[in-house]
Amino acid sequence: MHKKIGKALVVGAGISGIRAALDLAETGYGVTLIDRSPHMGGVLSQLDHQFPTDRCGMCKMLPLVDRDASSQYCLRKGLFHENIEILLSTELVSVDGEPGNFQVLLRQKSNWVDPQRCIGCGECAAVCPVEVPDTFNVGFSPRKAIYLPLPHAVPNSYIIDLSACTQCGECEKICPTGAVCLSEQERKRFRILVVDDELIVRDSLKEWLEEEGFSVDMADSGAQALQKLANDTFHLMLTDIKMPGMDGVELLEKAKEDQPGMCVVMMTAYATVETAVEAMKIGAFDYLVKPFEPDKLIPMVVRIYEDLEATRGRRVEAGAVVVCGGTAYYDPSSGINPFGYKVLDGVVTSLEFERIFSGSGPSAGKLVRPGDGRPVRRVAWIHCVGSRDLQAEADFCSSICCMYAIKEARLAREKSHGEVETTLFFMDMRTFGKSFQRYRDQAESVCGVRFERGRVHSVVGDPDNGDLLIRYVDTAGKVSESRQDMVVLAVGQRPAAGSAGLAAALDLPLNSWGFGQTEPFSLTRTARQGIFLGGSFSGLKDIGESVTQASSAALAASRVIHQSGGSLALETPPAAAPRNVLREPPDMLVVLCICGGTLVQNGGGSVLIERLSVDPAVSNVTTIDKTCTSEGWEQLVELVEKHKPNRLLIGACQPYVYARKIRQLAARIGLDASLLDVVDLHLSAVRSPNDPCDPPDGFHPALRRQLAALETGLARLKHVDPVRRSALKVQQRALVVGGGIAGMSAALAIADHGYPVDMVEEQATLGGNLQWLKRTLEGEDVTALFDETRQKIDKHPLIETHCSSRILTSFGKVGHFVTTVETEGEELRTLEHGAVVLATGGKEAPTDAYGYGTSECIVTQKEFEMKWADGSLDAGKLNSVVMIQCVGSREEPRNYCSRVCCPSALKHALALQKENPEISVTILYRDMMTTGFTETYFTEARRRQVLFVQYATDNKPTVKVDGGGARVTVFEPIVGKELEIEADLVVLATGIVPNLPGKLAAAFGATIDPDGFFQEAESKWRPVDSLKEGIFACGLALSPRSVTEAIATAEAAAQRALRILCRDSLPAGKIVATVRRSLCSLCERCIDACPYQARALDANGEKVIVNAAMCQGCGECATVCPNNASVVDGFGQKQMLEIIDAAFH
Amino acid sequence: MAETALIDVKEHNLLAALRGFFKTVLKQEEISAILVPRRLPVTPTVMPTLVTDPKHLDAADPLSPAFPINAAKIVSRLTRRESGGKVAAVMRPCEIRAFVELVKLKQGRTEDLVIIGLDCLGAFSNRDYFQWISEDADACTEKFCSVMLTGDSSGGSRELASACRVCEQPVPAGADITVGLFGVDTAGRIPVTAQSAAGEDLFAKLGLRVGEEPTARRKAIEKLVAERTAARDAMFEATRATVDNLEKLTGYLANCVNCYNCRVACPVCYCRECVFVTDVFDHEPSQYLRWAARKGAVKMPTDTVFYHITRLAHMSTACVGCGQCSNACPNDIPVMELFRTVAHRTQQAFDYRAGRSLDDKPPLAEFKEDEFQEVVGIEA
Repeated sequence: MHKKIGKALVVGAGISGIRAALDLAETGYGVTLIDRSPHMGGVLSQLDHQFPTDRCGMCKMLPLVDRDASSQYCLRKGLFHENIEILLSTELVSVDGEPGNFQVLLRQKSNWVDPQRCIGCGECAAVCPVEVPDTFNVGFSPRKAIYLPLPHAVPNSYIIDLSACTQCGECEKICPTGAVCLSEQERKRFRILVVDDELIVRDSLKEWLEEEGFSVDMADSGAQALQKLANDTFHLMLTDIKMPGMDGVELLEKAKEDQPGMCVVMMTAYATVETAVEAMKIGAFDYLVKPFEPDKLIPMVVRIYEDLEATRGRRVEAGAVVVCGGTAYYDPSSGINPFGYKVLDGVVTSLEFERIFSGSGPSAGKLVRPGDGRPVRRVAWIHCVGSRDLQAEADFCSSICCMYAIKEARLAREKSHGEVETTLFFMDMRTFGKSFQRYRDQAESVCGVRFERGRVHSVVGDPDNGDLLIRYVDTAGKVSESRQDMVVLAVGQRPAAGSAGLAAALDLPLNSWGFGQTEPFSLTRTARQGIFLGGSFSGLKDIGESVTQASSAALAASRVIHQSGGSLALETPPAAAPRNVLREPPDMLVVLCICGGTLVQNGGGSVLIERLSVDPAVSNVTTIDKTCTSEGWEQLVELVEKHKPNRLLIGACQPYVYARKIRQLAARIGLDASLLDVVDLHLSAVRSPNDPCDPPDGFHPALRRQLAALETGLARLKHVDPVRRSALKVQQRALVVGGGIAGMSAALAIADHGYPVDMVEEQATLGGNLQWLKRTLEGEDVTALFDETRQKIDKHPLIETHCSSRILTSFGKVGHFVTTVETEGEELRTLEHGAVVLATGGKEAPTDAYGYGTSECIVTQKEFEMKWADGSLDAGKLNSVVMIQCVGSREEPRNYCSRVCCPSALKHALALQKENPEISVTILYRDMMTTGFTETYFTEARRRQVLFVQYATDNKPTVKVDGGGARVTVFEPIVGKELEIEADLVVLATGIVPNLPGKLAAAFGATIDPDGFFQEAESKWRPVDSLKEGIFACGLALSPRSVTEAIATAEAAAQRALRILCRDSLPAGKIVATVRRSLCSLCERCIDACPYQARALDANGEKVIVNAAMCQGCGECATVCPNNASVVDGFGQKQMLEIIDAAFH
Repeated sequence: MAETALIDVKEHNLLAALRGFFKTVLKQEEISAILVPRRLPVTPTVMPTLVTDPKHLDAADPLSPAFPINAAKIVSRLTRRESGGKVAAVMRPCEIRAFVELVKLKQGRTEDLVIIGLDCLGAFSNRDYFQWISEDADACTEKFCSVMLTGDSSGGSRELASACRVCEQPVPAGADITVGLFGVDTAGRIPVTAQSAAGEDLFAKLGLRVGEEPTARRKAIEKLVAERTAARDAMFEATRATVDNLEKLTGYLANCVNCYNCRVACPVCYCRECVFVTDVFDHEPSQYLRWAARKGAVKMPTDTVFYHITRLAHMSTACVGCGQCSNACPNDIPVMELFRTVAHRTQQAFDYRAGRSLDDKPPLAEFKEDEFQEVVGIEA
C-alpha cells in the first residue's frame, strides 16, 4: 500500500534533482520533477566518465529497497518511479502560498511531437531538410530540426526545434504513427470568432484564416457573438468596433466576463483608433486599422496563437520546493583573455573535450582536433579559466575543475596507452575531497601526467604548422613556452541562464555573483521558508557533494511537509491481491500491433499468427492497430476483458512506454504484472543491409527476427512464476552514534519526523568539536549554533541521549539491529533499531613536526583557536606570526586534504590583522584549498598584506626555537632564495584524523577506509551509505569537512535512514534469489559472490539463507552456482534456456 | 626446512616396508584411522579402505596400478564435518589435488586430517588392470614397481592409463608427509619427508631415523616430468586438432549416451544432483517437435554435447587430470583428453592451477575488476 503523505516539487532534473526526487519519493511523498530542457540528467548526460572511478555508475542511486517501484535500468537513459511525475520542457512560473501548502504554476512547452506516439524510428529526421549544430555534442556535429535531444534516452522521443523548423511538413507526412503534429494541424484546434456586420469582411477574413489552418466561426452582431461564446470556447475574437446595436467595446466587456482567457483584437477604421486604444485598456490585446491586407493580419494571429501554445500553464500543489537549478559554464570567448578559444583550431573547453573523448561524440572517441581534424599527441589543460580571476569578475574557485582536468588527462593517457602527452597548467591543485590527493598523485607517478605550476599568459597559433603555443610564467617568475596540439580550457562556473528569473519567481536571494544564497550553517535553507537549494545552483559541486546536498535538501523539504501535517494527503486504496495462476495451465493472449500497416507490409501478420498459434500455451493471437494510441489501448483492454487470459503478450514497439499501462491493466484484471509483457517488433523488423533481398524460403530475416522476439516473450511468460515475498518488519527507531554537531543534527532530523532516536556519546557531554570552535571564517557564531542545537536535543521528547556510553556489540540487518550499549555506572542496555547513523567525528591530528612540543610559541590551529577565544593571545604583542599548512597531511601515510585548515589559517590571519594591522603574518602552504566562495577570503588576505609562500614537500620549511620565539626558514621560489622569518608564534595546521574504530564499524557491518574514515558504498552516488543497507555515516567520520558541510551530511544520512524508518515493513523486490535446499551442496560460492552481503550460512552451517530485503536480484549467485540450486525468481534456468532457444530462431 | 627420515626396505620388499610405516602411523594415539588403498578379500580389487586395526594393513597396496576411484571424494566424505577423530589418508598426487579443490568448495576440511602422499607410479585403466592382475597380487605389484622404477620390462608390461601417460605432476604436492620413490634405491632405504606443520607434528612422534633425501630423486623427477610434459603437449595438440570446431566436437562425443558416468567418477564434480538430471532438462514433447521442424532432423538424446560443454564450463577450472572420466566411459570416449586440453587453457587464463594450493582462490569465486577487459569490452 502506498500512502502519499504529501507532495513536493523538485525544480531541475540533473543529478541533484534526481537524487532529491528519489529520496522524497522513496519516503513516500508524491514528487513533481521538472526540467526546462527536453531531457533529464543535466550536464551528466554528456559526461561518460567521472573521477575517481573514471566511469559512470549513476544507476547506483536507484532505490535498493522497494525497488519495484522504480525503473531499474541505466539512469542516464531515463527514470520511472511510481511516486514521481516527470515534466520536461517545463519551467516554473510562480510559487504562491506558504510552506506546507504552495501553489505552483508551471509552463510546459510543446515539442510538437506526441511522445506517447513517437516510436523513435527516425524517419522524420531522415527527411528533415534543416541541419543545425547539435547541442548534445556541444555543436561539433550536426543534427536536424527534428531530433533526439539525448541519443541514449529510454523511451526516446523526437522533438522539434522550433527555432530551426521551417514547418515544411515533411516529417509530419512520413511519420508512421501520426506523432508529429505541426502547428498547421494543431491550428485547427485554435478557434477564432470573427464579428463584423459586413459580410464581405467576415468572408474574406474567414477565407484568409482558414487558409492558414485555423478554425473560424462568424457572427454578424454583438448579440450573436455572445450567443456563440456562451456555447463554445474560442481562443481569439476579432471584432469590429462600429456595429449596429452592441458595439465592439461593449462586446469586449461582456465577452471578457464570459471567457476571460480569450484574446480579443479590435478592428477599427482610422477614425476610431482612439476607441481601440481605450479598448486595450479594458483587456483587448491589440487592434488592426481597416482596411488591412492578410500579411498584416496573419502574422499577428500566428503570434497570438504561438504565444498561447507555448504557455500551457499547469498548476500543481506542493508542500515544499527543492531548487536544483544547476549551473552554467564560463564562455572563454566572452572574456578579456579568450586563450584563442573560437579562434584557433584545437582550443576547446573542458566540456567540449568530454564530448570529443566520448564514444558517442563527434569523432566517436578519437582524439582529434575539431575544425581541422588533426590527430592530437600533446594536450595541455589551463586551469582557472573564468575562475579565481578578478578580470573575469570571478573572485571564486569553481571547486571541481582541478579534479575533472586531472581525470581528463588521466583518461587521455590511459586511452592512448601513454602516447598522448598531457600537461596541466595550474595555480593551486585543489584536491580537497576524499581520495582526491591520491588520485592526483597517481596521475603523476603512475599515469605520467605532467603538473606544471604557473600562470598561463596566452595561447597563440604557430602559423607554420598549426601548433598551439602556450606562454606561461612558472613559479620562479620565468616566462616559458610550451608547444601543444590541443589546449583544453578548464572553465569555471557561472550562474545558469535564467537563474535570476527563477530566483525572482521564487523570491530567493542570490549572492554577489548570481548564485543561490543559503542561510548560515546550511547548504540548503534559503531566506524563503519551505524552499531549499540542492546541487550546483548555490555554486558548483562535484557529484558526491551535489548528491549529499540534494539528500539534505530533500530532508529539509520532508521536514516542512511533515511539520505542516503532511497536508495534501493522497492515499491510494490497497490493491487487491492478484489471482494465483500458478496451478492453471498457461492461457495466453497474444496481441500484435500492426502499427499503421507496417506489420502487414512486411507480409508478416498472417505468418506470425499462424506460427504463434501452434504453441499449446497460446489460446488467441490477434492484431490491433496502433496500440500506443489511447484508442488502440482501449481496444486491447476490451480484448483482454473478453478473453480473460492468464498471460498477455503484446508485440508492439518501445516496450518501456508500456510499463505504467501494463501495471494498471494488470491491476484491473487481477493478474500479477509480471504475467503481462511487451516485446519490440519494431526494432527486430529494421532491415539490415546484410539481409538477403530475396530469401530462398520466402521467409525474410526481419520476419524471422520478429518471430524470434515473440517466441522469446512467449517462453518467458510461459514460465513466469509470480511469487509474493513476505515483507520484513522494521523497528521504526534509529540509533545515532556520536553526539557532535553531525550526530545531533542527524538525531534531530529523524526525531522531527516522529521516530524515536537513541544517541550514544562517548564523552560526558555532547558537542564534540563545537566545544572549542567559536567562529567560522565567514564570521558565523558556532557557539550560538551549539547552544541552540543542544537545547533542541534536550527538549525533544523522542531523543534519548546516552552520554559516557559506548557500543559493545551489534548484530542484525537493515530494519532490525540489536545493539548493546554500556553506560558508565549503569547496567548494560539493549537497543533495537531499524537503522544506524555513525557520527563518531574526528579530531585534530597530533604532531611532533616543526619542533612542536618544544616551545610554547609553536601551537596547533586548535590551540590557536582556543587561546584566541579565552583571550590568552594578544595580537598587539605579536609582531610576526608564521602559519605552516599541510603538517603531516597530503603525503603518505596521511595522504588526504583535511579541507578546513586553509580556511582556518585565513580566519586566524584576518583576525590577527584586524586586531593588529601592523602584524606580519606569513602562511607557508603547498596549495591553498580555498574552494568555492571562500576564495574571496584568500583574496582579502593578500590584499591585507598577508604573505603567502608556497613550499614543496621535498624542501619543507624548518623551525628553530630561538629564545621565546622561533626562526622559520623556507625556500621562496619567486626570489629563488631561502627566507628566514623571525616568528613570535608558529601555527601548525595538522589536519583531521577520524575517530571511528574499525571494530565499531564492523559491529554494524560497515568498513573503514585505509585512512580510518567510514568507507562509503560509492563516493559519488551513495556518499553517506554503507554498502550494507541500513548503515549511514556523517560528519568527520565520513571525511574532513566544515561545520556547515557536516550538518549537510548529517541531514543526508538522516534522509537515507528515513527511507527505511518511514515504513513499518520493507517490501522485498519481486526479483530476488532463493536457494533450492535439496540441490544445494553448501559450497558457499554464492555467499562469496553476493555483492550485497545478502547471503549467509545459518547458525548450524546447514543451509544458505537469503535476506530478501537486501537481495537486489543481480543474479551473481545463480551464475556461480553450477547446478541451479541458487535461482533468481523470474529467471529460472528452464525458462532461460527456452528463451535463448527461441532467440536463436 | 622439511625434515626427512629414511625407512629401511628389508628383503627387497617395498610393500612390506610401506605397510610397516602405515602401522607406525596408525599406532599414534592421535590417529583414529588410516585410509589406504587396500586389496579386498577374495578379489584382487583395490579400494580405499578406512582401517583402524593394524592387521588389515597387511593387505594395503598403495603401489598397485589399480585406480578404480579418485579417493578425494572419499576423503571429502570423511572430513566434511567434525568426525571426532583424526584420519591419515594415503593418496595419489591427483587425489590430493582434487581434494584441495574440494576443500575450496567447502566439501572437505583439512583439520583432523594428515595426508600421506607417495610418488605416483601411475595406474592402468580399469579394463587393463583386471586383464593384467593375477592371483599373486603382491608379486604383480612388485613387478609393476620394478618396471616403473628401473625400466626393466623383461617380465612384460602394459601401457599406463592415458591420463597417467601425460601426467606431469606425479609427485605429491600438498601432502603433509611424502614418501619418495623416484630415483630412490627401493631395495635400500626410502625417504619420508614432513611437508607441513601438521606433517612435522606427526613426524616427530614416529621415531624415524633422520636422514637425507637421495640426490638422485630430484634428477629422476625432472627427467620424468620433462618426458610427461612433452607427451602432454603432444596430446593437447592432437586433441585440439580433433575438436577445433563444433562439428568435430560433436563427432568426438558422438558415442555419448548421457549415462553421466564421467560426472559420477569426476572427483571435483561436487553437486548433490547434476543440473542435467533436474527438471531443467525435462523438455516438453512439443519442444522436440519444434526442434526437429526447425532443423529437419534432431539427434537423440539431444543434450549430449551441451552436457559436456556445461561440465567443461563448470569444472575445467578445477580439473586435476586424474582421468577417471575416461576410465568410467562405457563407450571409450577420450573424455580426459578433451577436459585436460580445455582445462589447461582455462587455468592458464586465470593463472590458476587446480590443486596447487589452498591459498589460491577458485577463479570464478573472486571478482577482479580489471581482468579480461578485451573480453568484457570494458576499459579500465
